Amino acid sequence: MNSSTPLYALHERIWHWLQAATIILLILTGFAIHYPDRFGLFGSMANAVLFHSWIGFALIVNGFLGIFYHFTAEKYYHFLPRSDDFTEAAIRQLRFYLYGIFKGEKHPLETDPRRKLNSLQKITYLLFLNVLLPFQIITGVLMWGADRWPRVFDKIGGLWVLGPAHTLGAYLFIAFLAGHIYLATTGATPVSLLRAMITGFEEPSEG
Amino acid sequence: MIDTWGILRFGRRQRAFACWAAVGFGLGLGAAMGQAPPSSPGVSDPANHPAKLPHLALVLKDEDGRNVLDTGKPISTRKTCGDCHDYDYIANSFHFQQGKTEMNRELLASHGLAPFNLSPGMFGKFSILPNRQLTGPGVSSASDFDMSQPEWLTKCGVCHTGGGISEYDLQDRRFLSPQAKPTGLLDPSYTIRDREKGLVVPWDWGKSGTAEADCFLCHTPKASRGARRKEMAAGDFRWANNATLADTGMVTVQEGGKFTYNRAAFNKDGTVKPEILDLSDPTLENCAQCHGFTAKSATTIQPIQHADIMRGTEKSGWIYNGAKISDTVAPNVVGKEKMNYPWDAHAAKGLICIDCHFSVNNPGRMLHEDAKENLRYKPRGEDIAVYLKQPNHNFARGNIPPETVNLNVHNTMRGCGDCHDAEKIHTFLPYKTRHFQALACQTCHIPAVHFWAYRSDDWGFLMDTGGSRITYRGIEGGIVDPESEVTGYLPAYIPTPGKNGNLQIRPTNLITGVYWFDKGKGRPVFTWQVQTAFFSGLPANGEWSYRPEILKAFGDKDGIIDIPQAVYDTPEKIALIKGLLQKYAGVADPELRIEVTPWAVSHSIVGKGQALRQCTACHAKNSVLRRPLDLNTFLPQNVPVSFRGKQTEVVNFEGKEPTFDNRALLSSFYIIGYSRATWVEWVGWIFIAAVILFSLLHGALRLLGGRL
Repeated sequence: MNSSTPLYALHERIWHWLQAATIILLILTGFAIHYPDRFGLFGSMANAVLFHSWIGFALIVNGFLGIFYHFTAEKYYHFLPRSDDFTEAAIRQLRFYLYGIFKGEKHPLETDPRRKLNSLQKITYLLFLNVLLPFQIITGVLMWGADRWPRVFDKIGGLWVLGPAHTLGAYLFIAFLAGHIYLATTGATPVSLLRAMITGFEEPSEG
Repeated sequence: MIDTWGILRFGRRQRAFACWAAVGFGLGLGAAMGQAPPSSPGVSDPANHPAKLPHLALVLKDEDGRNVLDTGKPISTRKTCGDCHDYDYIANSFHFQQGKTEMNRELLASHGLAPFNLSPGMFGKFSILPNRQLTGPGVSSASDFDMSQPEWLTKCGVCHTGGGISEYDLQDRRFLSPQAKPTGLLDPSYTIRDREKGLVVPWDWGKSGTAEADCFLCHTPKASRGARRKEMAAGDFRWANNATLADTGMVTVQEGGKFTYNRAAFNKDGTVKPEILDLSDPTLENCAQCHGFTAKSATTIQPIQHADIMRGTEKSGWIYNGAKISDTVAPNVVGKEKMNYPWDAHAAKGLICIDCHFSVNNPGRMLHEDAKENLRYKPRGEDIAVYLKQPNHNFARGNIPPETVNLNVHNTMRGCGDCHDAEKIHTFLPYKTRHFQALACQTCHIPAVHFWAYRSDDWGFLMDTGGSRITYRGIEGGIVDPESEVTGYLPAYIPTPGKNGNLQIRPTNLITGVYWFDKGKGRPVFTWQVQTAFFSGLPANGEWSYRPEILKAFGDKDGIIDIPQAVYDTPEKIALIKGLLQKYAGVADPELRIEVTPWAVSHSIVGKGQALRQCTACHAKNSVLRRPLDLNTFLPQNVPVSFRGKQTEVVNFEGKEPTFDNRALLSSFYIIGYSRATWVEWVGWIFIAAVILFSLLHGALRLLGGRL
């Protein structure tokens, strides 16, 4: 790996951390909306609703900036799995997480600025960024617009459809976040991947 | 003045001037034609009342059109008021017909009313509160006869203001006219059930006379409902309108119920002095006589406690009063020290009943139908002279449960949104449109009721008074005991159709009735039939004697049935009474039933300082919208429960006492913070837990293996 070229460019790191911050804030405000009597972190449910809406739009804007960056910098291919990412590479990666990591085996993927994501990451991010995130954005925007386009809102089924759907998406987000944070400790050292996402450079694997 | 909603509005001063000026014109014209002469100039007391012109002096006429001072006969409003105002037009409205003009089976069915009701109004609709049924025409057996038209008038005629039902029989023939003849021995317009003899006997209309529309009850501030009640209850209908004037000093009651006229109340020309009648728009006090406690600023709230009728206040506990609750002297309102706000915010602002419940063709008050489309002002309005000739007495009203009365003017009143711009005021509230669609304004602006109200009326097990067991909520002690503590109650919430047809959650009191239903006849069992089943004879000293079978099954070891024993706690006890109804009252297939009736609370409005505005009041696991309200402690179990005419499971027997369970009713509302899709919660949390557990396990193994 060329040590002068960062694994994660500055734009990517800003995009990632902005996304992380907005998602965490959305989860917190979401809890304040879903459990307003038990989670009064934002003063009132009305405040939580207001913050949730603004932060949601910030996430959308950040998402579009991310798309714009990855296309214009031609980095979108990082997120596109190849055919063996679903088969051999995925099995290799899974074997590593379930077995090799305990034996001190070398990580199956040697990351560099051209190959940053392992096959399981590619599959997960493909689902996360192209299914779950848009799903949350669409259901969230529809709920936000309940007063603005009530006919559409009601036609879809109103809160009885959108509320549980958005809630389920939120739980999946939380589950993703928990797994994502844990897997970020599986680098060369528990904080090496985290440091890479801050500084841009990853410590070489010892294994 | 024209407001932003495009509704033409006049100030009260302008309205009063316009109306009374026109009255003056109309009557002046009459006087010029040889009737009453003009009266003294207008009086005004700007400190307390808007200026108003007094009604012109009237000659009070009898049924023959002669001055009552000369004849001594009862006042005929048909002849007196009818000279200028269209009496028959006015008396054809709901306040005088009470549903008689709506006796239409299709109409009943379209509003979900059971077929045993005769009308959707007070005259013909069954209510569990009195548990009496008006008997319709065509009855062929005395066993199908409960409450005849004359009996209805003696019981309910005090409030229901004469004319219509007290002038015309069920075939629309005017009583005492040559055409008015009973059609058979059981014609319910010409008979009455004699409770003592158990027979249906003729009613002597010649003796009782008829009660014409009682204009004075609503248009004379000093109207005496109590005196009218005595006359109506005694079956002395023809003097009822005179009795209403008992407190004006114009009439004096004589023995036998007759009234004489006091000459001092009359001018030399034979007209009655204007200040005696003080004819005016209905005041708060006029409406209060029948509809509930309303006052401009009263610190004593007790008039309703003579408890001879069922009023709005008794049904749901609302108080329309401008005085602060903290200033209340009587009754003893618990915690009033902290209630430094009016009983009702609108009353405190000086609004009176007719500001919202106006005559729908009053040009000064009416809502213009197309006002919200594009017209801010509709110059082609109604002619005030037409209004004065034919003032529509189907007053503007809303559409709140359980009232089905006066179906053709539902949702005609000035609603909250016709005066208040809620969108502008509720800046703190997200999703205003959604909130206003789903919630009636009263839901937040009547967070609590600080008065008592009916809780239950149990006709399933009769007390030894021969009547039902009535319980109240919101009071510790008797309702007429000044020492009783009025604790008030927290309303229950139900969805009902709003003005635009969408379901809105609104606060209600719930009155739970228990009664026997005659499945064979398809109607509730009559009270006299239930009494026949329960008691072995007529009451002695006001106390009825239970049948031995009942004493044995329900009584204590001394054979006494106290309130705790008068409970259907086993199916055998229900079966026993069922058998007695079959054996003694001839009810072939009786069934014990429960009916939970919601009575909307629409007054006792509080301002923004006291209104519910905490999101977590509704958006929480313990949402107030789901708050259980205690029902009748003695409710029998495993009997059919109906709610608003439909069999619905709204009673929860799981707790210490039966409570109202509105889960099924609110099922169409997704209340964020309260509503949950259970499977989503399970799937979501299982997913999260699985990921966290896996991570912890994985991390622990790495740690143990020295790979972390």
